[in-house]
Amino acid sequence: MNRRICLIVMVATFAITLRGWAEIDPLDALKQQLQQLQQQMQLLQQKVQELEAAKTNVVPVTAGTVSPAQLKEVDEKIDKVVEAQKKTLMSEFNPAIGLVGETLFSYRSGNQIATGSSRPGGFDVFQRSVELNAVAAVDPFAKAYVVANASADAATGVATLGIEEAALQTTSLPWNLELKAGRFFGEFGRLAYIHDHELPFVNRPVALDQYIGGESRSDGLQVNWLVPVEHYISFTAGVGDQFGADSPNPNNPGSFRSFDGFNFWSRLSTDFDLKPDWQTEMGISGLWNPHTVDRGGAIVQPDGSTFTERERRLGGVDFALKYVPLRDNQFRSVTWGTEVLFSDNRYLENPVGGGPAFDRTVGALGLYSYLNWKFHRQWSAGFLFDYVENAQDEHALTYAYSPYITWALSHWNQLRLQYTHTDHNAESGLKPDDAVYLQWAWIIGAHAHGWQQR
Amino acid sequence: MKLFRLLLMMITVAATAQAKVHVVTTLTDLADFTREIGGELVEVRSLATGVEDTHGVPMKPSFVPVMNRADLLILVGFDCEHAFLPALLEASKNPRIQNGKAGYVDCSKGVAPVDVPKSTDHSEGDVHPYGNPHYMLDPVLAKTAIQNIYQALVTIAPEHQAEFTRNRDAYLAKLDAKIAGWQIALQLLKGAKFVSYHEHWPYFAERFGLKYFGTIELKPGIDPTARHVEELIAGMKAEHVPLVVREPQFPEKVPALIAKQAGAQLVKLPIMPGGVPGTDTYIEMMDYIVRTLVATVGK
Repeated sequence: MNRRICLIVMVATFAITLRGWAEIDPLDALKQQLQQLQQQMQLLQQKVQELEAAKTNVVPVTAGTVSPAQLKEVDEKIDKVVEAQKKTLMSEFNPAIGLVGETLFSYRSGNQIATGSSRPGGFDVFQRSVELNAVAAVDPFAKAYVVANASADAATGVATLGIEEAALQTTSLPWNLELKAGRFFGEFGRLAYIHDHELPFVNRPVALDQYIGGESRSDGLQVNWLVPVEHYISFTAGVGDQFGADSPNPNNPGSFRSFDGFNFWSRLSTDFDLKPDWQTEMGISGLWNPHTVDRGGAIVQPDGSTFTERERRLGGVDFALKYVPLRDNQFRSVTWGTEVLFSDNRYLENPVGGGPAFDRTVGALGLYSYLNWKFHRQWSAGFLFDYVENAQDEHALTYAYSPYITWALSHWNQLRLQYTHTDHNAESGLKPDDAVYLQWAWIIGAHAHGWQQR
Repeated sequence: MKLFRLLLMMITVAATAQAKVHVVTTLTDLADFTREIGGELVEVRSLATGVEDTHGVPMKPSFVPVMNRADLLILVGFDCEHAFLPALLEASKNPRIQNGKAGYVDCSKGVAPVDVPKSTDHSEGDVHPYGNPHYMLDPVLAKTAIQNIYQALVTIAPEHQAEFTRNRDAYLAKLDAKIAGWQIALQLLKGAKFVSYHEHWPYFAERFGLKYFGTIELKPGIDPTARHVEELIAGMKAEHVPLVVREPQFPEKVPALIAKQAGAQLVKLPIMPGGVPGTDTYIEMMDYIVRTLVATVGK
């Protein structure tokens, strides 16, 4: 009996189901499915939004939905994250500190007398820089920075610590003005105020070494003015007790210095965007020391006469053409930079044989030009040409040719190989020589490229 | 009379120009948002054109006068612009937009960063001490940036709050609708693993459910070594990673080699508007990214 009833129910159910299937229109079925899917999708979207809000701690921003209490809650949570991060920065009030090291391995074919270099000929290892940089805001109105450098003396090997720069720089003066005071590299020309390890080649161009005295270091005051026009024009003027870090010629003020014993310098620079990827920068600079008492002492000339500088005048024009592709400038770029300097110093000449001393003005021209080609993120190569007339004898000429290649393993670790052939004419009294340099420079700690190193 | 009219016209034009809020943004997505919110009331200039690397915008002197006149400087933050912005800011001599001033608008405010390093050491490459700064590729986090820009505009020009609010809401509505669409479209890619040249995509991946497998760079800012490339390829093969993303700022050679040897698809994706043609706005850029990913991996 039960079996029969079960069988009847099963048959009836099957028949009803079949009938139901036959009655449902396929279009309706699809519509139903779509509706169900849409409902599911809406639910999913709602869930996604809820999860987003929970995950990012940010309430979706729509008008009228964010209450002050919610904002306060978000702010508090963020503050906690910030505070937590600060706990790992125990030195947050200390300056940003970085250290730069630079070692030069070299071979020069000429000896020290023949080359006029402070380093010995033959094989040499020179720890040129151990440079400690520190910078921090002093207050809301100024920042200060210090660059202390220890380099080894060629003769003794003893490293002496010197202050290359220690200056205060204003940050909020009105009328686009900026004031710098202390010891700093004065703004003159294109590369004179760049530290050695930031140069695109191993050695400072000969013209800068001879006419400026290496880096344009001065103890003084400098004001910079960004001219308030739509085009970039920058004007700098400074006054200081000396100008030039490495030359053996710190100003000798005598026992009393008048105001005209100071060095005065200025620079006007601008740029033009020729195309989005092409720029040109140019500048004109001047340096004047109206009354030098005894800069560098009496300089003995090859003919035996001595020159004592009485007035220092230096002018310069610099130019750079840059190809910096917007898209991949970290991988390729080209820079052609040139600077022409004209030294017009006045000397007191003591002639050979002890005749009466007389004033003599020597006009000497010097220039350098380089082409730097970056062809890979890590690799660049270039060529530097130097030409300089001796500042005391314009007939004594020096030429130098320096191809080089740079391998930057990273932004903070860089190797550079450079060959330099230096040639002199007979009047210079120096002999030609060849040199190979391997420079290894590294940076630890904080390091930021300033506007001048762009 | 003619002279008087001309003078009046010039004064009117000058007054209108004066009334605009001068905004400089570091990147193009921020410029797009600012234009959307500010409309005709703002004059916006982006330092980047869109094709640059976000960390490598060239420092052009021509930027300096523009920044000097700006009322607002809008930036991504999290140290994204560390390579070019501090020097430009100093050169601009504009106290209004210096860090800490009202004109300095850090759009990362309110964004919870990912990949915050435990220590800031260069052995880990060019690390960002505050975390990965590429949050703008997550459109939901981009809304936080939009809100920050809105707040800055309201602060500097409160008389236009109503218009800024209207514009912001309209744009957010448009963006929300787009986000919903992108969510649906990228459902197909949920769980898909990928590598990219630079670590641009962690926020994007988290938002849309993709899985970051690794970067072609050895470390941020450090080019890959041969061993790293070999290991990456081996890992991709073992894990069946189907996608290699190349940002247009990076050369194609190495990503193409990796994609070929690992049997993955190579796609070029922009990281800000203007990075590839047809992506002038943020929405167009995200549309492009989603469309390209779906077309590449989803096929």
